[in-house]
Amino acid sequence: MITVDHLTKRYGDVAAVRDISFTAENGQVTGFLGPNGAGKTTTMRVLTGFTPPTSGRALVGGFDVFEQSMNVRRVVGYLPENVPLYRDLTPYEYLMYLGEIRGLRERKARAQAVLARVGLSARSNSRIRTLSKGMKQRVGLAAALLHDPQVLILDEPTIGLDPLQVLELRQLVAELGREHTVLFSTHILSEAEQVCDKIVIINGGQIIAQGTPQALRDQLARGGRVVVRVAGDLEAARAVLAALPAVQEAVLDRDSVVVTPADSSADLRPDAAQALMAQGFGLLEVRSLAVNLEDIFIELTRREVGAQKEEVA
Amino acid sequence: MSALWAVYKREVALFFRSTIAYAIAFGVLLFMGVLFSATVTQFVANNTSGFAQQLATADMAIVGMLGTLAFLMFIIAPLLTMRLLAEETREGTLEVLMTLPMHDWAFVLGKFFAVWTFYTFILACTLAYVVMLAGMGVPDAGILFAGYLGAWLYGGVTLALSMVWSALTEDQIVAAFLGAATILVFYLSDALALIANGRGFTAGATDFLRELSLVAHYQETMMQGILRGEDVAYFVLLTVAALFVTSVLVGTRRWRAS
Ligand SMILES: Nc1ncnc2c1ncn2[C@@H]1O[C@H](COP(=O)(O)OP(=O)(O)OP(=O)(O)O)[C@@H](O)[C@H]1O
Ligand SMILES: [Mg+2]
Repeated sequence: MITVDHLTKRYGDVAAVRDISFTAENGQVTGFLGPNGAGKTTTMRVLTGFTPPTSGRALVGGFDVFEQSMNVRRVVGYLPENVPLYRDLTPYEYLMYLGEIRGLRERKARAQAVLARVGLSARSNSRIRTLSKGMKQRVGLAAALLHDPQVLILDEPTIGLDPLQVLELRQLVAELGREHTVLFSTHILSEAEQVCDKIVIINGGQIIAQGTPQALRDQLARGGRVVVRVAGDLEAARAVLAALPAVQEAVLDRDSVVVTPADSSADLRPDAAQALMAQGFGLLEVRSLAVNLEDIFIELTRREVGAQKEEVA
Repeated sequence: MSALWAVYKREVALFFRSTIAYAIAFGVLLFMGVLFSATVTQFVANNTSGFAQQLATADMAIVGMLGTLAFLMFIIAPLLTMRLLAEETREGTLEVLMTLPMHDWAFVLGKFFAVWTFYTFILACTLAYVVMLAGMGVPDAGILFAGYLGAWLYGGVTLALSMVWSALTEDQIVAAFLGAATILVFYLSDALALIANGRGFTAGATDFLRELSLVAHYQETMMQGILRGEDVAYFVLLTVAALFVTSVLVGTRRWRAS
């Protein structure tokens, strides 16, 4: 369990993270989603006890990250962003080293078990400098898993991996989520959508939305655009729809009309259907345009950046 | 404790696998060996006979050799320590270590004991020259014991002093230069005290400078076979102080996190 409570982290004058609050539950994967420079890494560094918060509080596994740093470090497994490793060691030696620092018993068995889990058994005795990027990433992941931590914090674990490895890793993260509290950051929304039980969207150091992927979709995409298909003159149908008071814009798109409402929270479908039928069109289809979280994410983050610029001006 | 031991073992292994570390050790031993033979040859040429003369020669040779080693520490120590902490910062592995359940001081001590161990290895190698002297007569045990104990402590303190800079900067070259400068200041503060004396400085200030000096606590005492508790205390305290500062500086990495 991770609880972040009005957390702020400043670097000099720059607030990397401003007054954020969220939780990550046990037995769930929480996605931490945001564009470059949003404050994901900063937040994770506070949560792992690497750097202290400027103000606010955070509890990890029930321990305060600042007051009880040693306890936090015991229960957390952390994969830092660019996966720092000792290139002169082999994966096995590296894990044995970390295990000894952690004071783990049965280090050998644990090291072998986690190497198997990340699919690296075959290369466990090659020098890390000779491994590929994806393999190094997995060494880092094995290191995070070594002590069977209650909480896993993974900073962009899929970056730089090939598509197959990305799939494997997502699967592994989803599996791990059943036993652990997993917080993982990404700037790929579809990834968060696939793997996470909950998504926290951060931008410019502030949280702009959070919830289950479904809830986010509903919350953010309410009353989006509507797609209409009719039997008959499409251009005439478009004109009818464009004339409706609630419609901002109606445009042709191949064999259908895409209607944008003036008020994004309104549902256009009943009005549109009624108007068209009143005019004698044969209705083939009236549906909400499939909501793509990616679009929403891009729009949201752009909007925030715009708002910030205005603030500054 | 397990953490300190783990860091120590890894670092010792790195030293004994490092070509550069061996190159430094070889350079030092070669330099000292040449000076040592020169001293011995010179004395043998001047004093053709007499057991007492031979003994004096043996003692002179040892004292000269230890003095050379002590002087060279302003180069050796920074070369051995510059990598220790700077590299972890640069490679980002510090972020891994600092999120493990390990105290900053355990990490710093593990590193320090490792480099001190490698220095001890170099010092032990110089005993080979002492063994060679056996043919000329047994050197004074007091000089041998106090001199070597002092050399060992002297190494520890110079290593600790130069390690401070490795914690402060991630640039190894900068760390080495600042380390050398720091050791020179402690080496020369004896001479500075002499200069300051009678030039408007209070007696307290010049005494302080003298007390701070490496030379006053080694070259003038232990190296000559005079074992004094205050000299040992000086080395231990200064080493502990330097390690404490290093440990604090490593901690501030958390605030300066890059
Ligand atoms: N050590 C530091 N000193 C000064 N500013 C920093 C430091 N670390 C991060 N920042 C600033 O804090 C902000 C957030 O950075 P952070 O690394 O947390 O972003 P991120 O969400 O992880 O981005 P990315 O997706 O690129 O990894 C940025 O504006 C960054 O410049
Ligand atoms: Mg980041």
